[in-house]
Amino acid sequence: EETGDEDGYEYGKGNFTEHACRYCGVSNPACVVRCNVPSCRKWFCNSRGNTSGSHIVNHLVRAKHKEVCLHKDSPLGETILECYNCGCRNVFLLGFISAKTESVVVLLCREPCLSVNALKDMNWDLSQWCPLIDDRCFLQWLVKVPSEQEQLRARQISAQQINKVEELWKTNPDASLEDLEKPGVDDEPQPVALKYEDAYQYQNVFAPLIKLEADYDKMMKESQSKDNVTIRWDIGLNKKRVAYFVFPKEDNELRLVPGDELRLRYSGDAAHPAWQSVGHVIKLTAQEEVALELRASQGVPVDVNHGFSVDFVWKSTSFDRMQGAMKTFAVDETSVSGYIYHHLLGHEVEIQMVRNSLPRRFGAPGLPELNASQVFAVKSVLQKPISLIQGPPGTGKTVTSAAIVYHMAKQGQGQVLVCAPSNVAVDQLAEKISATGLKVVRLCAKSREAVSSPVEHLTLHYQVRHLDTSDKSELHKLQQLKDEQGELSSSDEKKYKALKRATEREITQSADVICCTCVGAGDPRLANFRFRQVLIDESTQATEPECLIPLVLGAKQVILVGDHCQLGPVIMCKKAARAGLAQSLFERLVLLGVKPIRLQVQYRMHPSLSEFPSNSFYEGTLQNGVTINERLSSGIDFPWPVPNRPMFFYVQMGQEEISASGTSYLNRTEAANVEKIVTSFLRSGVVPSQIGVITPYEGQRAYIVNYMSRNGALRQQLYKEIEVASVDSFQGREKDYIILSCVRSNEHQGIGFLNDPRRLNVALTRARYGIVILGNPKVLSKQPLWNGLLTHYKEHECLVEGPLNNLKQSMVQFQKPKKIYN
Amino acid sequence: DDEVHVRQMVAAVDPQEIANFDQELRAVVQESVEQRKLELRGRPTLNMMLPMNVFEGSTKDHHGRVVGGESGDEALDEELGGKEVQVKVLVKRGNKQQTKQMYIPRDSTLLQSAKQKEAAELEE
Ligand SMILES: [Zn+2]
Ligand SMILES: [Zn+2]
Ligand SMILES: [Zn+2]
Repeated sequence: EETGDEDGYEYGKGNFTEHACRYCGVSNPACVVRCNVPSCRKWFCNSRGNTSGSHIVNHLVRAKHKEVCLHKDSPLGETILECYNCGCRNVFLLGFISAKTESVVVLLCREPCLSVNALKDMNWDLSQWCPLIDDRCFLQWLVKVPSEQEQLRARQISAQQINKVEELWKTNPDASLEDLEKPGVDDEPQPVALKYEDAYQYQNVFAPLIKLEADYDKMMKESQSKDNVTIRWDIGLNKKRVAYFVFPKEDNELRLVPGDELRLRYSGDAAHPAWQSVGHVIKLTAQEEVALELRASQGVPVDVNHGFSVDFVWKSTSFDRMQGAMKTFAVDETSVSGYIYHHLLGHEVEIQMVRNSLPRRFGAPGLPELNASQVFAVKSVLQKPISLIQGPPGTGKTVTSAAIVYHMAKQGQGQVLVCAPSNVAVDQLAEKISATGLKVVRLCAKSREAVSSPVEHLTLHYQVRHLDTSDKSELHKLQQLKDEQGELSSSDEKKYKALKRATEREITQSADVICCTCVGAGDPRLANFRFRQVLIDESTQATEPECLIPLVLGAKQVILVGDHCQLGPVIMCKKAARAGLAQSLFERLVLLGVKPIRLQVQYRMHPSLSEFPSNSFYEGTLQNGVTINERLSSGIDFPWPVPNRPMFFYVQMGQEEISASGTSYLNRTEAANVEKIVTSFLRSGVVPSQIGVITPYEGQRAYIVNYMSRNGALRQQLYKEIEVASVDSFQGREKDYIILSCVRSNEHQGIGFLNDPRRLNVALTRARYGIVILGNPKVLSKQPLWNGLLTHYKEHECLVEGPLNNLKQSMVQFQKPKKIYN
Repeated sequence: DDEVHVRQMVAAVDPQEIANFDQELRAVVQESVEQRKLELRGRPTLNMMLPMNVFEGSTKDHHGRVVGGESGDEALDEELGGKEVQVKVLVKRGNKQQTKQMYIPRDSTLLQSAKQKEAAELEE
């Protein structure tokens, strides 16, 4: 059921035989030689094409490689060319000479063997030595020049291209000439634009960026192999083998997520043969332990625990689906409505209204009452083909989205597709939509079926298993058999698959709403579905091509929900990010003049905590839906400097340090004070799950976790239950109390991650009851936004120093902010 | 047509580029020679064994006829001007000597010079 698009984009690779000339593709064994430099080993032919020297000579000169080997099917067989006397292999020194008679020939180097007196004594005429490379070619009787026919069919490579590809091989020996034509290899890729002529131009811009990101992702993940891993074996509820082990995370931001595929290997010993198996990550424990469910249960060396290796198995699926969606967008007229097509490309289009009768009330059953801005949002989006909803932190965008989906589903225009980039967001939304009474199917990637989900009962795989009708008994019987035996006979397996597919289709078709990730919308199981109405939550965290996947299934009405004042999509490849891949579709539409409808009432933060974010990020429009009284920490005895203002900036002057890995930072003083604050919260009656520690650096995160569990004044277990994580991983979530450790404390350097206003916004808006920020004001105040924050805290007498039980207002001087942030 | 096309391709080579490449190539050769001189101080020695059997019978066909062919082929070859000559190439694989047969155009510089030499020797 895979669509053709899915494997289309790798086409064209590997067309050449191994010994084809890497410049022109000629592969006649009589015409090619292999460069014998171990790191190179590339084949080249002896044709000049339209360049000055033959391809092999060109390569040897450009790359400064000097040894070659003949092809095994050439007249001399697989032979490394070397001096018959001294073994010198430098082809620039070698030449043939007749040994006494014209019919016996040897290779001899010109330095020093050509001046060996003994040879003259043997009556050899050394003046007749004939260099191997003559007229910028190898001797043509040794390595044939390809025929004209062969040359004409070959790729016509220019001297410039040769120089470029040789340059490229210095860093990437496997690069092909095709890679030269792709931007991003030797120069910056074409940046994203605001408007596009057509979907082909759009594809031309985004396809290389997605490719760059995919290559980077692959390179990074595949370099994550770990040896000497210790395994703890277990058996899952589905009787599958589960391996538990610690897979330490590096500073490079690679986060394993449930559904990732890893390969577990054992090299074997006297009692066990070598073994390997692929599995899916089904969960990550708080102790950073990975649970890997193995695909095959047979032959697992369960009596061994040590000496395993783990590799990451990279999958191109998500990137392939983005490429596929862009292609569909370009070639399939029915992929989106004309209005949406032109609108997405930034063309001027006359405003259209959707002719639908509006409901009398805009709330939905099973959901909380909507506030005025939420009602306004629901009402306006129902009438427009494209709308943006901006939901600042805690403003109830999930409820609003669910209400919109409810009303769209009731309009009878077919099934509604609901997506978000992350599984967590999809689950939350699916739950809320299901609460309105609509029939929801949550479609999960096959690799995540074993991952536990709060909305398991809504997932397609669960519903297939639990569909309770008698005509499904055959499927159930086979399922049971499969569960018990681990596998089925091939005929049963065939039957099972067909029945399962039919049941899946039946359940999916009968749903009002399908919920899945953006990438999940490209699942082959949805290939024949059409969705006129699509809502994408957290759309500001998705790249454009990712957003396109759910849209090209026939969208006529699109609602993008998000907040472009919070963090955008995570792009690992800097080149792709610089070119604009990190800009979401939502943001581009804002830049094109689409005005987002803003939800204005926040229900999360203590009013004191929302004041600064509202003023700095939302033009002061954020209203409080909670009162001070609803956010009183009653019974919690914590030394807030100003009662009724559960916030303070704790001045820290400790030095930053580079972490052991050399790629991150830590700050010991801040870490020690984080522990004191945590302990003080715990002592005053706060439980660990209420506390979140945020720090932008992995080095500091690891250090804090370690420090608290070793030096914490209370029971170790309490500290282990406290979540310590990056700003990014807290996006979309909340905690009652947040402690933010800024780390950077070097007056001569920047503040790194904290420079991004969107990251600061996210960090400041996670807490419901109280926030403590630890940092060095002297360093932070150079940045205008931080300067504003520090001034705000100072004005409210919340900028403090000294021991925690005796906090005093700090008189620390701020620096002048460098430049105005725009 | 093909020929025209190929000629065009050849004509397309920029003489300046050829000159530049020639210069680079000569530089690599020069560099290699100097490097060798530095590496090998002291007198070069003869360190090779020529298996004598390769020379056996070589005088018979040193006029450049294709050896081992049927007489008919020989005639044909003669008609075409005997374009190719079979030679024995001595190569080493690791430390092992091997003799390989291959054909070399009669007009190649290698054979031309060898022939001149032999002719000169005969005259003597
Ligand atoms: Zn090479
Ligand atoms: Zn070639
Ligand atoms: Zn030599």
